[in-house]
Amino acid sequence: MTERGVVFDLGYVPYEGERRGRRGAISSTYRDGLQRVFGIRRRARKKILPWMLVVLALLPAVVFVGFAFLLSTFSPEAESPFGSHGDYFSITGGVVLLFVALAAPELLIPDRREGVLSVYSSRPLRPDDYIGTRSASLLTVVAGFMLIPQVLMYIGFAALSADGFFKALVTNTDEIPKILAATVVYALAYAPLALLVATIASRKAAATGIYLGVMIVGAGLAAALVEATTLPGSRYAAILAVDGHPDYVRDWIFGTTGSSETTIANAGLDPWVSLAVIVTVAVASSVFVVWRYRRLM
Amino acid sequence: MVDAPILSARDLGLAYGSIVALHGVEFDLPPGRIGLVGANGAGKTTLIKILLGILRPTLGTAAVLGFDATKDVLDVRSRIGYMPENDCLPLDISAAEFVVYAAGLAGLPRNAARQRASDVLTLVGLEEERFRPIEGFSTGMKQRTKLAQAIVHDPELVFLDEPTAGLDPEGREEMLELISRLGGFGINVLVSSHVLGDIERTCDWVLMLDGGRVLRSGPLSHLIDADTVAVEVIGDTDAVARHLVAAGATVDVAGPRLLVWTSTDDAFRLVRDALADSGAGMRSLGPKATTLEDVFLEGSGS
Repeated sequence: MTERGVVFDLGYVPYEGERRGRRGAISSTYRDGLQRVFGIRRRARKKILPWMLVVLALLPAVVFVGFAFLLSTFSPEAESPFGSHGDYFSITGGVVLLFVALAAPELLIPDRREGVLSVYSSRPLRPDDYIGTRSASLLTVVAGFMLIPQVLMYIGFAALSADGFFKALVTNTDEIPKILAATVVYALAYAPLALLVATIASRKAAATGIYLGVMIVGAGLAAALVEATTLPGSRYAAILAVDGHPDYVRDWIFGTTGSSETTIANAGLDPWVSLAVIVTVAVASSVFVVWRYRRLM
Repeated sequence: MVDAPILSARDLGLAYGSIVALHGVEFDLPPGRIGLVGANGAGKTTLIKILLGILRPTLGTAAVLGFDATKDVLDVRSRIGYMPENDCLPLDISAAEFVVYAAGLAGLPRNAARQRASDVLTLVGLEEERFRPIEGFSTGMKQRTKLAQAIVHDPELVFLDEPTAGLDPEGREEMLELISRLGGFGINVLVSSHVLGDIERTCDWVLMLDGGRVLRSGPLSHLIDADTVAVEVIGDTDAVARHLVAAGATVDVAGPRLLVWTSTDDAFRLVRDALADSGAGMRSLGPKATTLEDVFLEGSGS
């Protein structure tokens, strides 16, 4: 005779385990932000765009390393036709701009539209914690977009170096602070402004459109004012080319200023001006977003 | 009041510009199931938001579970749950995902959050539907999910703001049944509602607000059981009333009907004696059925 199992109805069982308070609330919000921007644990259609952009950011690096491998195998004497670490930011910069335009509204707008902020307001979480954690999720993803392809290229090219892997790794270490600095610049230039727009707009599509519109219209307006007018000081209209500042500062960081024909370069702005514009917009946007969320929560 | 109050307020006030939402609110509420009643605009949601630390009072103080609601906001929020009146559910994820997330937001580790979410969703009757996206839920299922997120972390006190709003009669019954059971789980409850019948069924203490002020606060049994006897007299009603007043009772006369109340004696016995002494008869005699609505209307002067 087999022994039969018995089912006990334990009813409601009080929780007596660990409670991590504010620290736990912050880490949950951060993890939720990362999942949300990639559509994880959400429907398939929410995953398509973010993962397509991930592929777009990574694929060129993989292709570059692959071609470099073929070149080193079949024509060791030939000079590599592929760009530097600095040049690769031109590819990832555009992809990150699109990603941020989609991700910032996804992070902030549903919580407001669907009333979820009232749940956050009943948990051990301050408004600054909420918006700070949401920003951290976005900045983490931006940093990932920027750095992962660079790491792939750094290691890939070192592995193919005629000088040997470890020597190439050491020889190129002076590129690392430049890569990190450029990543910070792109993150500051794109993310805070996108969060500001997502704080004001009530719909995700509108926020994405407004953000990209500001970038496109700003670039067009700056180009028109700089190139079509001869008024004194008109070159400072190049400040309006918000999307061009990180590229200009990146060229400065990598010591390639003047290598690209952009509105800002044509206007002859000092790279410090571009950096100041990036920092000013980032700080002003962040202050507004924090102020707004302190009123909402 | 024997137990330490779980909620208290002293001279609490809040104004939105020139509009006074709460004024001079004072109370001490004991552990258990508390009903917060009042008409729309009476200040119920404003009071809850002050207790949660979302709104800062312009006057006075409030305490939740012994913590200052203004200064110790995180201590308060670590110990309470909140089911808002309005929508608070993300539509694109499942109930299970959201309730796990809500538990994580309350500080529970990931594994414990998953276990608790599963248990609580079963408790509220969503074990079958918990993996479906919330956007496909009925109003009743959404209300259950809202309740689940409010209690998933086993709070000491849960605020339920209009928990039966939008529910059909069957859903309302089930929600009231769930609320009634919360006390048995060791969770103190504050239920805000303008439906007085819901409060009568679920609570043992009532705080009444009217126009931003406290109208009444006390045990439900005291408020609705006023020891009042209704008697319909055949004969000389005035003579019966005179005998009752002489015996120390308070009497309201409405045609042949008398409402008799006494704080010192058994009202039924006084009525019997008055009828015998005056030689009158009676058509009916019984306790006056006082509802929370009667108490509210009497207090608000409506």
